Amino acid sequence: MRRYPRWPIHLALILTSFVMLVPFYWVFKTSISGENIFNYPPSIIPRNPNLFYYVDVWYAIPFARYFLNSVIVTVLTIAANIVLNAMAGYALTRGFRGKTFILMLFLSCMMVPFQATIIPAYLITAKLGLLDSYLGLALPQFSTIICIFVFKASFDAIPASLIDAAKVDGLSEWRIIWTIMMPLAKSAMATNVILSFIWSWNNFLWPLIMTRSPEMQTLPLGLSRFLSYQEDTTGALYAFCIMVLAPGILLFLLAQKEFIQGLTSGATKG
Amino acid sequence: MADEDDFERPRWKVWLLNRFVLTPVILLVIALGWDLYASMNNDGLIVGRVVDAQGNPVADADVSLWIFNFTTFNENKHVTSGPDGVFTITGNPSHNVQVTAQKPGLGASPRVPIRLYFRSQNVTLKEPLVLPGA
Amino acid sequence: MVSLASEVEPDRRAPFVARKSTRQAVLIWCFLAPSLLIFLLYRILPLVWNVVLSFEAWSPLKPAIFIGLENYEEMLDDDVFWQALWNTLYVVASAPVGIAIALGLALLVDTDIRGRNIYRTLIFLSYPLMTVAVAIIWRWMFDERVGLFNYVARSLHLVDAPIPFLNSFTWALPSVIAANIWQMLGFYMIILLTGLQNIPGNLYEAAEIDGANAFRRFLRITLPLLRPSIFLCFVIGMLNSVTSFDLVYVMTGGGPGRATEILVTYIYKLGFVQTRFDYAGAVTVVFFVLLLVIAWAANRLSGGNAGAVERD
Repeated sequence: MRRYPRWPIHLALILTSFVMLVPFYWVFKTSISGENIFNYPPSIIPRNPNLFYYVDVWYAIPFARYFLNSVIVTVLTIAANIVLNAMAGYALTRGFRGKTFILMLFLSCMMVPFQATIIPAYLITAKLGLLDSYLGLALPQFSTIICIFVFKASFDAIPASLIDAAKVDGLSEWRIIWTIMMPLAKSAMATNVILSFIWSWNNFLWPLIMTRSPEMQTLPLGLSRFLSYQEDTTGALYAFCIMVLAPGILLFLLAQKEFIQGLTSGATKG
Repeated sequence: MADEDDFERPRWKVWLLNRFVLTPVILLVIALGWDLYASMNNDGLIVGRVVDAQGNPVADADVSLWIFNFTTFNENKHVTSGPDGVFTITGNPSHNVQVTAQKPGLGASPRVPIRLYFRSQNVTLKEPLVLPGA
Repeated sequence: MVSLASEVEPDRRAPFVARKSTRQAVLIWCFLAPSLLIFLLYRILPLVWNVVLSFEAWSPLKPAIFIGLENYEEMLDDDVFWQALWNTLYVVASAPVGIAIALGLALLVDTDIRGRNIYRTLIFLSYPLMTVAVAIIWRWMFDERVGLFNYVARSLHLVDAPIPFLNSFTWALPSVIAANIWQMLGFYMIILLTGLQNIPGNLYEAAEIDGANAFRRFLRITLPLLRPSIFLCFVIGMLNSVTSFDLVYVMTGGGPGRATEILVTYIYKLGFVQTRFDYAGAVTVVFFVLLLVIAWAANRLSGGNAGAVERD
């Protein structure tokens, strides 16, 4: 396989990486630029770079509050997801009456994108009295079918002999779940954390529909509101954009292996 | 997750000394340090000098502070420069302000924008405010 | 505590076995119940409610009246609906473009060149990021005055006047689609890469010995064996692009005019701007049927391989 030259591949990949990264740079450059951002021609390298747009954003909007809201909703979602999905995934590894029906039900639920349910979902949440609350923001994503199947696959992969041996040793079912099955389902858990993080952290449509008060806004919502009342007149919008992206990028770089693994296993097993 | 093979390390080290804990902790420390620095330097002091076109200090010039308010700058405070041309504004509440100086007979200086990294940051102007002369 | 006690009890008696299996069943259903409740509340019930709404004249202040198919009849004469439907189909049709590019990239990063992991990470980076922020980035890239595209085009003298990408009826939808492809590219690439790595290497060696050139090997081995992955990409890409509410809402808001209105944004506007829940329900039903038809068609095209996706 060493007959072909390497440089065309490198060239193509470097070009692609460049295309993937340039938009980030363009926004970052704008956010630290010290001149009028609408000067033409735009400077490729920012002139007298400074951080004052970031200071403006910090005092123009309650960034910390938005961030906190996003964190609370995301943590709620992740915690609920792990518990509920692990339970459902475990149940599906056992034989019981009506299992086929449940499986069919789950598979058909997977075909319903959340966007196709927004109006009744809003009405239901209103009936539950959960509009404009953290619980209401997180509730629709408390359990996800894809992750249930990821958990089921990983529980199924645990050899039955291991569990039988534990039963012979006299361990109760709960002990078996906690001391044997959960540690072996670590990668499923990582997948679940990553997927529910992405879905909940980036979620925009649902908070847009159901939050009323400004102090319940999450980051994506705050960003879009900021856009609508600033109408990109200053670089502050782009500074905000970078501030919103930074935690996601940081987390991705910290756990990139888990991210890629989690997303692929979520997609292929789901 | 390579740490798991490492039986030598105590459990608390495995749990606490990994990049998922250390990075947020470092960020938190930086943020706290910044807050501490900000809280020690937020008396809203703006110290500067007024000079005339020849560079001589101007006493008794009227220095005003303009504060950014949504779209425009509003005049907020007045002080008078001392005998050596030095003025001290206290209680600046904002992070985006302008200062001007004027004195009858010597005209008014251009507005000097001051951008601060946090509200009421103490700052000493490096460039003096220059009155153009009559 | 109950479980411990019964575990200690001698388990020779037959009724106990029955009791135990009942207890097991109860436990299983208890485990399933919370998830089922969520799905019932936020998937099944909304679906049914949508259908019910679509046959009614209803708003939060008026009692519901059954009006049969009137909402659907209104839809036939609704130009905006047809525009949104057409745009949605246009967006779906754009998914293969992204997948084709991603397939090329996957083949490139599947080679044993140095730094392939860095390339993979860089190309994948845009996928997990917040779509609202991505939309703002692309708004800025397409900006009429100082956007990068206009800057490059004007510097190279390709255009005389700057193109107002997001304010032009011709360019707005392709611009949104380009942003969508940019975000999804890395994800497609990783899925296809996983598919490529699952193809056994000895197949290629055998083909090489038989004298098949690289292009024929790709056509005869890679593509057929990669079909499940490609199909998976298509389904995910379709679902993602059809439901890319965030991107459209932030980049263009459906404008100019209705040039980038897709069904999801139209449903949102009908429901939460005009408060016409009933009509929005009818549009949602059509939207959902459309999704099912496309998924079914994709399934048929892939040779009924959907099982490969949904197999657990």
